[in-house]
Amino acid sequence: MTSILEVVDVSVRYGVGCERCAPADGPARCPVCGSVWACRGLSFDVDSGDVMGIVGESGSGKSTALACANLDLVPLSGRVRLLGEDVTGIGGARRRELRAEALGIVCQTPAQGLDLDLTAGGNVVSRMLAAGARGYEALRRRASELVQATELPLERMDAVTSTFSGGMQQRVQVARALATRPPILLLDEPTSGLDVSVQVRLLDLLRRIQLETQVAMLVVSHDLGVIRMLADRLLVMRQGRIVERGLTDQLLNDPRHPYTQLLVSSQLS
Amino acid sequence: MTLRDLLLKERPAAGYGFAYMDRPSKREVRRALLKAVCIPGHQVPFASREMPVARGWGSGGLQVTLSVLTPEDTLKVIDQGADDSMNAIAIRELVQATTNVKTTTDAREATLIQTRHRIPEDELHEGQVMVFQVPIADPLRIVDSRPSVTRRLHAERDYAPVWLYLYEDLVQVGHSSFTHSYPVEVEGGYVMSPTPIPRHDVDRLDRAPFLSLFGAGREAIVYAVPPYTRVRPLVFSDRPFERERMTVPCALCGSADTYLVEDEGHGQTRMVCSDTDHCRRRREEACR
Repeated sequence: MTSILEVVDVSVRYGVGCERCAPADGPARCPVCGSVWACRGLSFDVDSGDVMGIVGESGSGKSTALACANLDLVPLSGRVRLLGEDVTGIGGARRRELRAEALGIVCQTPAQGLDLDLTAGGNVVSRMLAAGARGYEALRRRASELVQATELPLERMDAVTSTFSGGMQQRVQVARALATRPPILLLDEPTSGLDVSVQVRLLDLLRRIQLETQVAMLVVSHDLGVIRMLADRLLVMRQGRIVERGLTDQLLNDPRHPYTQLLVSSQLS
Repeated sequence: MTLRDLLLKERPAAGYGFAYMDRPSKREVRRALLKAVCIPGHQVPFASREMPVARGWGSGGLQVTLSVLTPEDTLKVIDQGADDSMNAIAIRELVQATTNVKTTTDAREATLIQTRHRIPEDELHEGQVMVFQVPIADPLRIVDSRPSVTRRLHAERDYAPVWLYLYEDLVQVGHSSFTHSYPVEVEGGYVMSPTPIPRHDVDRLDRAPFLSLFGAGREAIVYAVPPYTRVRPLVFSDRPFERERMTVPCALCGSADTYLVEDEGHGQTRMVCSDTDHCRRRREEACR
């Protein structure tokens, strides 16, 4: 197995920072200067075909970790490697290229990940265009393939995305993320805004895609149900640090860290 | 006394140097033009001056013309292909009054042609200069109205948004809805707006023997296409670039291969050549 994404000792700070900031076991928010340490010495890697989950409460740093993986954010220290290439702090054309070809992201809300004024097909092909595709028929073919694969009605492919329901828009996001067959998908709370029946169908879809394509996934969620269904391995984050890690089933059935225990026992069922 | 009277009273007009503009201003425009020629298709900002025509009425083209004109030049000015429309006459008279250069309506004789939205139908040759009046310089305006964003896109040659626009256009309209200003790629690099010339004229820019200078006065931008530079319209590899289809020949000269426009004279609407001088010469040749 080859490593798709490696995050090595990454720290991210929001704020100016000071000398007394972030002692290893202190609070994430510095009492002196008020800076917030969203990630502190975060290390993990995602191998090909691997589905890694990150759970934690709001403000635990999981979205920041994902933003580093998506090259949105440059960490204060540490490295991010994608397909073996050190991409820490990369920008400009190379970052755009990597985003088009090596990464696919599904955001929490469709408005973050899509241009709702474009057609569903347009949203899907935009990534192929970014990757340099210039054949109209090939774009149409691949877009309809993806529309069908994500169980969207093919006749709606050329409809403007804002006319879609929330669940359908999330599917468009998935189709868009998959457009260039990236080796890894980043999923940021992919089902949070959806009602439960639609959630289940989207999760089924993601699982089926994962099984069929063996695409690696990094799933960020506060919903343990989502994580249980998708992720093979799990990181539990709290105050910017990983407090526990392991195989999802093992970790959720036998949580060791008091915070993980709290998280598991707080789950509605 | 109007400005026109003032200018026409003495030639070149009293109180003005050669070609109306002061020398440092002309030098500024020429410097920007040199840069523009060196980086084909790149939009170069320049210190656009107030001109005696309103911004948006050819003030950019006029500044370019006045800056590069020499006393030996022969000038032709057209507005949508016509030598005798108001905008063309006003600009021609202003330039003529302040430079005393020869003027002509024959595109083959002119050394410098200032144009609004057409390329003359005649075969143009090496050494000629086309000066285009540009209303909207940035082809990326259609995808983002913020110059800070489009500058970055140009710098990184990130033209995926334009391609996406073209894709959406094909899907939603069924064909490309550009009637003019079809975006082109210059020498495999920058994407450029060929000013609102019709699609009919876009091919004429490709490896043209003449030098094309574009001036946008309101936006304070010049850009250029040097002679023999590749200019390719952005079309999907499996879609042809479609030109306007002329369904009837010119009602005046009978030409079937020129760009026609509607003419509403003589109580009826008919299609006639947009290039009036070319049309006139065709008719004269036919008489002989």
